Amino acid sequence: MIPRVTSQTQMRSAQANLQASAQRLAQLQEQSSSLKTISRASDDPARAGNALAVRAEQRATAQYTRNADNGNGWLTTLDTALGASTSILNKVRDLTVQGANAGTMSPAAREAIAVQIDGLKKDLLSQANATYLGRTVFAGNSDAGVAFTAAGIHSGGSTPGVERRVGADSTVRVDADGAGIFGSGPDSVFALLSTVSEALRTSPATVSGHLSAVDTALNRVIAASSDVGARQARIESASALLVSAKGSLEAQRVQLEDADLATVILELKLQEVAYQSALAVTARVIQPTLMDFLS
Amino acid sequence: MSTFGGLNAAYSGLVAARAGLDVVGQNIHNVNTEGYTRQRVTTSSTNAAARAGLVAWGATPGAGVSVDGVSRLGSATLDAKVRATAATAGYTAVRATALGSIENSLKEPGVNGLSHQLQEFWAAWGELSNGTNAAAAAGVLLGEAGQLTAQISSGYRAVTAEWTAVRSSADALVTEVNGAAAQVAELNGLIRQTLASGGSANEAIDKRDALTATIAAITGASVRPQANGTVDVLIAGNTLVSGTDVQTLTVTGPTALASGNGPVQIEWAHHPGTPVAVDGGELAGALSLLGSADAGGALAEAADSYNEFAAHLADSVNSIHLGGVTSTGKPGGKFFDYTVGNAAATLSVTPKSATEIAAGAAGAGAANGANADKIAQLGAGRAVDGAGKPVDSPNALWSAFVTGLGVATAIELGQASSANLSASAAVTLQLSNSSVDIDEENVNLLTFQHAYQGAARVMTAVDEMLDTLINRTGLVGR
Repeated sequence: MIPRVTSQTQMRSAQANLQASAQRLAQLQEQSSSLKTISRASDDPARAGNALAVRAEQRATAQYTRNADNGNGWLTTLDTALGASTSILNKVRDLTVQGANAGTMSPAAREAIAVQIDGLKKDLLSQANATYLGRTVFAGNSDAGVAFTAAGIHSGGSTPGVERRVGADSTVRVDADGAGIFGSGPDSVFALLSTVSEALRTSPATVSGHLSAVDTALNRVIAASSDVGARQARIESASALLVSAKGSLEAQRVQLEDADLATVILELKLQEVAYQSALAVTARVIQPTLMDFLS
Repeated sequence: MSTFGGLNAAYSGLVAARAGLDVVGQNIHNVNTEGYTRQRVTTSSTNAAARAGLVAWGATPGAGVSVDGVSRLGSATLDAKVRATAATAGYTAVRATALGSIENSLKEPGVNGLSHQLQEFWAAWGELSNGTNAAAAAGVLLGEAGQLTAQISSGYRAVTAEWTAVRSSADALVTEVNGAAAQVAELNGLIRQTLASGGSANEAIDKRDALTATIAAITGASVRPQANGTVDVLIAGNTLVSGTDVQTLTVTGPTALASGNGPVQIEWAHHPGTPVAVDGGELAGALSLLGSADAGGALAEAADSYNEFAAHLADSVNSIHLGGVTSTGKPGGKFFDYTVGNAAATLSVTPKSATEIAAGAAGAGAANGANADKIAQLGAGRAVDGAGKPVDSPNALWSAFVTGLGVATAIELGQASSANLSASAAVTLQLSNSSVDIDEENVNLLTFQHAYQGAARVMTAVDEMLDTLINRTGLVGR
């Protein structure tokens, strides 16, 4: 049935059509200025749900990256401290070998070596108390301020170690067991150095007997250093993974939420043309009535 | 026909043409009047005078035209269709508007949404577990936690505010229905009286139709016309208006969400306590939104979701926080506190300073951040409780709520737009039947104008005939 057409129905349908056209135009304008295809959940509930999950993962990845950076700082500090400790102990070993030649040295020369070893002990202690952002890297979770006291006693707190989370399922230990590497109290490498300098001063003949103990201490530090290196490699590869995850998550988010600018602009132009022609046609159709032609 | 009968017949033609012109004029004057239904003058030819007596008169013509009345060219079927579709459109529009406004208050997905704040909260725990600068990290965490609780309670308030708005709109709607019903009853009386005395009540009927359409859009009422020209308006089978009698509706029940005074319902003023089953229209839409969560009330369900989310967030964080120790080695207290049953509005952060946050595991050193990491794992959905069972991430609960509300809103919007289309189509059909067309009225104007001229010409002819008869007869040969 073709319904009867009157000026009122004509006006009404023209208005409805123009309104619909203007609405589509406004929608496309919003899309092209915000560049978002989903601005509220009802636009596409499934995609909105995915977008929430991707955004959550993005934030978590950003935090994992910060954790990894922090862990890398710890491990770098450890690496530096252990490298310095290795060269200090190497020098101690050289001096011990030199001092062991008891027959050829004057007491004054031995005293000089002993003083040098005492100095190196202080250097080693400061390396063992290395800190990163206010935390002593050889003291685990302890907040004592120093890992080793001047007497060489470890403050404890290395078990469990300091862990940094670099993924939802993976953590990396970023500290080193100070007591295990340097020993504590009378068994510590600091006590050993004191013993060596004491021996140089009082009983030169016994100095060579301490050489193997110095070697053992040196090997422990070298072993710890390679362990730290391995962990640093792990945290660096985790960082690289996080960077690539960040890129792919952003790509996912863009695909879920963002509008394709070219498509939106093309549709916007088309809609503009449609709206303008609708306006022009309406203006021409609505004007005349029979009255215009009756005299 | 008598000698002067022709003049009378011509006069009746003039009267009919003038009446036609008047009605056309009325139509043109009301071309843009809302609810006006076009009218036509109805005429019929007047029978010839009845024969009286025994003398055969021979065949006589009719005695002109009589104006019978002014008919209103409306269609009861189309009017009924407008009322029915308006009721559906009103129902869905109210629901879609309310759900849309709740959805807008979520601001998801985006950086202003609660989800974003939740991720910041988890990240703050992750930062605290690094423990690099405990005071700063703890300060950030407390700030983010405060922001999170504020956002949860403001989201919840948006739901309760929407409930209150819908509740007061129900009051306004009932007032409007009562007012319209009283006017319908008044017009019923006027129309009955006018029709009984043979007059034309077309304009009053137009007004009454507009009022019944309003009542139908609000309540889904049906209209039953009566023989005497009045209409009965029925809501759920009971009369709102019958002739000139009118009943009033009232709204009863709580005026705020979760105040627990029974359900919001519509009742007859003369029959309190018994709910009226309003089955369509804006009022039914409002009532369906105002229902309790058990009855499927969308707003109460949204409020419950907020409460459930807030309680789950607090419980899952608390259960892990209670298992940790603070930097001074004291066992952790509750991190979040809330009132059971009203979690979203009362959620608060218990620790006031860094020393009250249990970031570490027991006996693992003052700077330990293992417990903070455990809480941060809630965000990734990897957290486990004391017995090693996985704990549902609050993220999942929130995402389910957002998606669920999104689906419900999308469905409601779709229904509203299709109901709106059919309502608008029904109105267009009604208008295409009842509205005034200027072209058509112009044609009618010409027709009646010519009819008038014709009748006048007939009168002139009769006049000239009589002039011949009276003044010129008998003058032959003079």
